[in-house]
Amino acid sequence: MRRLFHKARLICPAQALDSKGWLVIDDGLIAETGSGTPTDALLASADEVIDCTGLILGPGLVDMRAETRDPGAEHLETLDTLLAAAAAGGITSLAIQPQTDPVIDNAALIDSLQLRASRRQGPHLYCHGAMSRNLDGTQMAELGMMAASGAVGFSNGHSSIQDTQTMRRILTYAAMLDKPVMHHCEDISLSDGSDMNEGATSTRLGLIGSPIEAETIILERDLQLVRLTGARYHAAHLTTATSVEAVRRAKNEGLPVTADTSAPYFQLNELAVSTYSSAAKLNPPLRTEDDRQAIMAALADGTIDVIASDHVPVNPDMKHLPFSLASCGASGLEVMLVMTLRLVLNDVISWQRAFELLSLAPATILDIPGGSLVVGTEADIVLIDPRTSWIVTGRDFNSLSRITPFEGQPVEGRAVRTIVGGADIFIR
Amino acid sequence: MGTTTKTVPPVTLTQRHLLGIEGMPVTEIEALLARSHFFASVIDGSIPDSDIPQSLAGKTVVNLFFENSTRTRVSFEVAAKKLGGSVLNIAVSGSSVKKGETLIDTATTLNAMHPDILVIRHHAAGAPLLLSRHVDAAVINAGDGRHEHPTQALLDALTISRKFGRIAGLKIAICGDIANSRVARSNLYLLGTLGAELRLVSPATLLPADIDQFGVPVFTDLESGIADCDIVMMLRLQTERMQGREIPSQHEYFNMFGLDEAKLMRAAPQALIMHPGPMNRGVEIDSVIADDIDRSLITTQVEMGVAARMACLEALIVGASI
Repeated sequence: MRRLFHKARLICPAQALDSKGWLVIDDGLIAETGSGTPTDALLASADEVIDCTGLILGPGLVDMRAETRDPGAEHLETLDTLLAAAAAGGITSLAIQPQTDPVIDNAALIDSLQLRASRRQGPHLYCHGAMSRNLDGTQMAELGMMAASGAVGFSNGHSSIQDTQTMRRILTYAAMLDKPVMHHCEDISLSDGSDMNEGATSTRLGLIGSPIEAETIILERDLQLVRLTGARYHAAHLTTATSVEAVRRAKNEGLPVTADTSAPYFQLNELAVSTYSSAAKLNPPLRTEDDRQAIMAALADGTIDVIASDHVPVNPDMKHLPFSLASCGASGLEVMLVMTLRLVLNDVISWQRAFELLSLAPATILDIPGGSLVVGTEADIVLIDPRTSWIVTGRDFNSLSRITPFEGQPVEGRAVRTIVGGADIFIR
Repeated sequence: MGTTTKTVPPVTLTQRHLLGIEGMPVTEIEALLARSHFFASVIDGSIPDSDIPQSLAGKTVVNLFFENSTRTRVSFEVAAKKLGGSVLNIAVSGSSVKKGETLIDTATTLNAMHPDILVIRHHAAGAPLLLSRHVDAAVINAGDGRHEHPTQALLDALTISRKFGRIAGLKIAICGDIANSRVARSNLYLLGTLGAELRLVSPATLLPADIDQFGVPVFTDLESGIADCDIVMMLRLQTERMQGREIPSQHEYFNMFGLDEAKLMRAAPQALIMHPGPMNRGVEIDSVIADDIDRSLITTQVEMGVAARMACLEALIVGASI
């Protein structure tokens, strides 16, 4: 099966490519690409010709941090709905967090999830193995066996490792396995009982705040442990200007450090909760406008490498409560792309940088296929209509988790076709 | 302000609910206070009970208290009954809430019974706002977590203005557990709006974040904080709302931040004492001062609570009929 996509704007940061052109998929692989219009012979050789006028054609998105609730709480998200939502969001590979029940802290569960995902035509599914057994933060999980089963890295979900010696050992062990450790930085004695960012807004609302130091103290500690152990370290969802500065320093020093953030932290600030809107209750919490500006600058200048969906399945039972009783988290898979496009439309980042953040960098960090339009690689591709306007409406999501802090926002641009291994897994 | 006449009209508010003082127009605050003065004259007997308008006749007020409270609940009950309303008290400890019903379910259920006013107290900040989005009744916030307690601020202002004849220009110190206090927040907005010279006094560990941005001087020393003040308002040490060990001991707290006769000497000579209650005697206030009938307005505050709440209940009912 030979498929020819033409009249598209091809974007591939791996090849510094941004031009009008065409792309041929043959037998699931990217067979040929070129700029301008394809020859008549090429057109004639294709079994299917797809006119992509007005569309962006780029490498499929790689989401390095999403949570599922399957197994354990399938009413919040099943593997099927997770993958369907990812496909609708233009994602062709996603790496899930170990926060399932039971926790992904053993090779068997990774085998099982990957087998189940492979039976379904959808995005590639990868797993982060738990850093500690049952995410308890004390006993190292079976990192080696999980790595052998395909774990792309290790994470402790939203349970930040508090004990420094435990963290040191995990980093040392992960370095031996040459796998990245993705860590959520939170000093839980500082954030205990908190509802939001600490500051004048939390004081005004009478809510308990968590200071930015709850994030930066653990981050700074980890960066020192990286220097000690040489482990590949990835800081999950940076939210503060101080964290950005810490990562920038570590990178300048040459430490093997990468970082991501997610859409709420560059599109919203703490005022999103000022009417006790629990949809915007997140962990880490939304910060100040200065922090948001710093996050945007870090996305543009390369200090932050990746935009992840930060998808956390939640339902109305967990959210339609007084703010301090509501759960943290929001649906992210189906807004990650469009919120990043807003940065492109506002000239904060270029199209190439967008695909670097959403595709190339996460694929590189996790050392998985995808992230480029290089000839000979598997055809994981997204087609985006950058001009279509729509309104974010949670109830239209493919995910079972339909609560988003962006509800009701008018947006521009959307994935219209998602292709994995040359085959369409989603068409709008 | 300060004069009481029968001609003070009932108040109408721009909001359907009374959820907080923050953002309330000064004209509405002043109108509510003027109307509260009128009702206070009923309570002190200078206007006969028969002159009380029965604005709540045929109306149902539901007291929905998720936190224990005697004084506020009874105060609302008395206020509503004086205006001819009927009152239902829902004791949450014995209700379906204990069986896991959510606030919104409770709201929907109550709403189906068509009450006119819901008075809610809840341990979670913002709960009254959430409730107000799911009911047709007017909602009064009777205290939500650390957020606001608007009727307390109104009754405090009423107490002060009846005593001093004014609020503008008075030096008022709000002292104690500011971080955990909804009374402090509501009073900060209300007394500040009315032109009082406010100051906050608290140990540094009980000051909320960025309180210096609220435009009021902050002291961490009681004696300099209350210096020359006309009113010293003591707050309850909210041990139940504290996150951990913010202070070394109640012993040290009383020693450094508790109001006693010696420290009170620093205030203005005729300074008066207020406390929203219930008091922790010997923790934030010495009994000698709390019970000093010449200095303490604490009982007056309770009395004024009924008048202020009558004005609020009436305003929401009158507003709803327009």
